[in-house]
Amino acid sequence: MLNVLLVDDDTEFTDIASNIIEFLGHNTSVASSLTEAKQWIISQPFDHILLDFMLPDGSGLHLLDELKTLAPQPYVTFITGHPAVKGMLSEICGPKIDYLVKPIQREDIESALSRKPKAKTNSKTTKFTKHFGCLLGESESMHNLYTMIQRVASTQANVMLMGESGVGKEVIAHAIHQASGALGELVATNCGALSKELIGSELFGHEKGAFTGAVSKKDGVFERAENGTLFLDEVTEMPMDMQPNLLRVLESKKVVRVGGTKEIPVNCRVISASNRAVESIATDKVLREDIYFRLAVFPIDIPPLRQRAEDIPLLANAFLDELNQENNSQFAWSEAQLSKLKDYDWPGNVRELRHCVHRAFIMSDPQSNQVELPASFQSPFSLVKKANNSVSAGQTIEDVEKELIRITLEKVDGNKTAAADMLGISTKTLYNRLHAYGDFEE
Amino acid sequence: MSIDKTTALAKQIHNARGPLNRISMNAELIKLIIENDMPKDKALVALDKIISACQECSDSLQNISEQKYE
Repeated sequence: MLNVLLVDDDTEFTDIASNIIEFLGHNTSVASSLTEAKQWIISQPFDHILLDFMLPDGSGLHLLDELKTLAPQPYVTFITGHPAVKGMLSEICGPKIDYLVKPIQREDIESALSRKPKAKTNSKTTKFTKHFGCLLGESESMHNLYTMIQRVASTQANVMLMGESGVGKEVIAHAIHQASGALGELVATNCGALSKELIGSELFGHEKGAFTGAVSKKDGVFERAENGTLFLDEVTEMPMDMQPNLLRVLESKKVVRVGGTKEIPVNCRVISASNRAVESIATDKVLREDIYFRLAVFPIDIPPLRQRAEDIPLLANAFLDELNQENNSQFAWSEAQLSKLKDYDWPGNVRELRHCVHRAFIMSDPQSNQVELPASFQSPFSLVKKANNSVSAGQTIEDVEKELIRITLEKVDGNKTAAADMLGISTKTLYNRLHAYGDFEE
Repeated sequence: MSIDKTTALAKQIHNARGPLNRISMNAELIKLIIENDMPKDKALVALDKIISACQECSDSLQNISEQKYE
């Protein structure tokens, strides 16, 4: 049971709110002005103060100074009906200060008093555990990843995320930002999407008139991510001649806008990401060595989905659940379907799985609750990847031969004579091989 | 829209949020009363407050719409 002080000049609101708070099992005292609130806090200790921002004799902020002298300091939840005040309050919020925006629901009060974040809405409640509010997966490799996120989030170290396309690098950047409790925002930019001419302006900002078309001053992403996190996606696609400028900012923690002369101090964690393999970063000369060591203070390898296949049913269920909630439907996977999803190697990783679930959801018969999976999961990109990476060290000759026969048959729509021609073997030999591999039989 | 008009509109929206908040809170109170099998008198009082707040909110919105197009 908590001792709660409710400070608001709207008496109708305090009447109802105190009723609700008492229903929730807490003691409530009510003050309708700053003066009354000050009297209350002198006369007795409170665990939590629900404080209106605008009071007849001043701002609720004035009470904060008085509260700082108390030990133990109560938790404070500001209540405001003014959206403009919301932004300002979010800046002063800390471990003991929070805010609520009217209209308020019981859940808001409950979560404020319990100091737990409120679930977004009842309809959005999910049975899936999202680590750091956004990551799904219970495999060992994901738990190792969570540990790394937790450790690095508590430091200011720059992080480099490495992993194949579609593994969720930006989601992990969000998780690190979330876990760090940084006051500033997460600002994301894609270095591969910017032209050589624009990248300087995007990263460091520009002054008015710096170049043709620079009609006004612009803050760069380093400035926008002040006290927060800057996510540089596809950092290895940044032109080499821009990299010394980036290095200078990383080392000096100061930016100079394009066309400007003034050095502006910046303070943000840089999370960069690349889908290139670590060894190719050096061999392909896509990133300067000095920049690599600045960016990859803490490198994190994100496992591809095929290396955490045990998470596939969980992810497929979670994606389907999201679609069910959005569309008020009740589709479900059968065990056989989940097993089929688990058996595929998902070269496009989580992004490809999500796409496949969405496609299956759209294709499914609304009269039934069963999702219809396509006959083949392969996308044009997965075929290209397969074709390019069909041979790797560790594979047996038998595996390679089997794979070659499979993709040849796919190429010729299952025509065995054409496939045998293409493979340079007789049709009889192809049949013998197919018989031996059994798997290809319909 | 001029800064003055924007400020006036923001203030009116703020005023409309007051009764909306009371509607929300009274509805929560009614839910609690029903969930806890409490006497229904309190729920009826809360329902009357909701009806009155709806009217107040409607008046505020009417003011906003009239002033916006002046």
